[in-house]
Amino acid sequence: MSVTLIPVGMLKEYVGGQARLELATGPTVREMLEAVGIPPTLVAGVLCNDLLVSKTYHPQDGDTVKVVAVIGGG
Amino acid sequence: MLYGYAGQILRVDLTRGVITKEPTPERVMRNFLGARGLGAYLLWTEVPHGADPLGPQNKLFISPGPLSGTLFPGAGKMDFTTKSPLTGGYAGASMGGMLTAEIKYAGYDSIILEGISPRPVYLYIDDDTVELRDATPYWGMGSFALEKRLKDELGEEFQIATIGPAGENLVKYACINHDYGRQAGRGGVGTVMGVKKVKAIAVRGSKGIPIADMDEFTRVAKAAYRACKEADGYEAWTRYGTMMVTSWCDENGALPTRNFRSGSFEQGANIYAPVFREKIVVTDKGCFGCPTPCGKYAHSKKHNIYVEGPEYETNGMLGSDLALGDIEDIARANQLCDELGLDTISTGGCIAWAMECYEKGILNQEQTGGLDLRFGNAQAVFALIERIAHREGWLGNLLAEGVKQAAAQVGQGSEKWAIHVKGMEQSAYDTHSATSMLLAYMTADVGAHHNRAWAITYDLAVGRDKVVPEKAAKVIELQHIRPLMDTLGCCRLQWVELGMSLDFYAPAMTALTGVTYSWQDLLHISERIWNLTRMYWVREVAGFGRVWDAPPPRFVEEPAVGGVTDGKLTSPEAAQQMLDYYYQQRGWDANGIPTSETLQRLGLAELVRVMP
Repeated sequence: MSVTLIPVGMLKEYVGGQARLELATGPTVREMLEAVGIPPTLVAGVLCNDLLVSKTYHPQDGDTVKVVAVIGGG
Repeated sequence: MLYGYAGQILRVDLTRGVITKEPTPERVMRNFLGARGLGAYLLWTEVPHGADPLGPQNKLFISPGPLSGTLFPGAGKMDFTTKSPLTGGYAGASMGGMLTAEIKYAGYDSIILEGISPRPVYLYIDDDTVELRDATPYWGMGSFALEKRLKDELGEEFQIATIGPAGENLVKYACINHDYGRQAGRGGVGTVMGVKKVKAIAVRGSKGIPIADMDEFTRVAKAAYRACKEADGYEAWTRYGTMMVTSWCDENGALPTRNFRSGSFEQGANIYAPVFREKIVVTDKGCFGCPTPCGKYAHSKKHNIYVEGPEYETNGMLGSDLALGDIEDIARANQLCDELGLDTISTGGCIAWAMECYEKGILNQEQTGGLDLRFGNAQAVFALIERIAHREGWLGNLLAEGVKQAAAQVGQGSEKWAIHVKGMEQSAYDTHSATSMLLAYMTADVGAHHNRAWAITYDLAVGRDKVVPEKAAKVIELQHIRPLMDTLGCCRLQWVELGMSLDFYAPAMTALTGVTYSWQDLLHISERIWNLTRMYWVREVAGFGRVWDAPPPRFVEEPAVGGVTDGKLTSPEAAQQMLDYYYQQRGWDANGIPTSETLQRLGLAELVRVMP
């Protein structure tokens, strides 16, 4: 029962440069971010299987969750 | 041979109707690169000191950059430079779309519009054939309507830039429109085109761009292109564009709400990216050479309109800042501004100020011309946008002058909630509790615009209220990198949003031009341009100095209301301390003026000594 977390761009710096992490299901995305050391305030978008979801979302077994850093506006 | 450039500058004397061509000066391109840099140089050297922004002495410089029209990712950007009718200082506005490539292919590194035409005209360019054609039948037309009309008349392959009624009526923040939804938005570049009576520019080009080392340039550009396409954030970025930041701003107290009184909007979830995508987006839309299209073309069933957008800035300034919580209403306001030729950011800032005046009883319904100007009243917003563009009624005419002038006229303390720096309305980031971003707005070279340095991420990473020299250093670093993209004629978003490496730029410029550039060389030129624009303010604005870098009072005197920044503000002392750090690191004196040593170091001493 695992979730693949992919930190995008500068967020990799907070997980020692890892491109993907395998995490257990159960927690919300926000809780996962806190657990691996990525500040949730720096995450602009959470994409679960490429669809935008909120940080309170509970990823399911087999989901791929990309977290995207804040972006630069227009 | 000047590789990487078209080799000619097109000069259009509108007063006399005389069109001439001159060689692109190689030394200037080496020192200022092109686009924003060339515009700043030409503004300094060609527009005389004290010129009226709306007079015949002011000029409009329309310039692609060296990378424009090439294979390099995002090579669809260009620059419009002029003396701003909104601020009285430097104005440089960047625009995407297809026009920049077409100008370059027609053979020009810049188009200089000078003087004032005695009648409405449009500039027709078909390679070497350049004519001023009668635009009397088009005067009064909306931007999109005219673009369509000219494409129908001239051919779809012509690229068209237009002004709307706002530019004709000299609204101080009129924009230039192109490609049915791309704008040179800020500082009143459309106003200057309007006063010159140039309704449109139509360009078709068929020439090539000389490239010093084609094989190497192709290799670098393709590698950069591939890096964008393979970026982890590619799907999210192309699906949602800049709108993705809306929820993040709301969550972090940065989404301007009710004239920047709050950084969080109680109806925010209604205007987030997924709602936008699902409810109104029809298709994605990119500029020339863009591998990562951020444009979202939308259709509102409610209003039966099509519009490119809203993108984030418009969503903030015409949405939450006016308390509009329906994405279709925001799209309608966006479409009205585009068609009428108004900068959405400044328009939102002016209307938000008026709404607060109305709420406080400073403006009554007689002064608003019968409009019930409560926050959240979409119909009143639509009506007021029309009135601003046509300078209709007392309030429409007042707001057409920009928020600084409007507040100065109305008084009664309303200057306190006129959210601007140097007379330019602030774009869509609340800066009650973000000292880097506040400094970025205070020091941006056109006024309170985010595109020079978007530092709010840094605030959140290191502590949003911290007042430390590292924050000034970050703002300066960004003020050199981001405007450099506007100088090269390419889009910054491939780097900003998808993390495309900055290591691609110097090799690309070296292969393109045959001149060996390091990244540090490019940054040095960008710093030179930044200081030249600063000196332009010094030259043109009597008493220019530190006081002109003051933050909007709201962020240093009134705490934010609601959201995660509830009760927070930046103290005036903290804002001044940030300025001290900034001036010291820039090599400017305590009044914010570049020292002679700094000008010498940047190779500007001789240029700025001679004031035209």
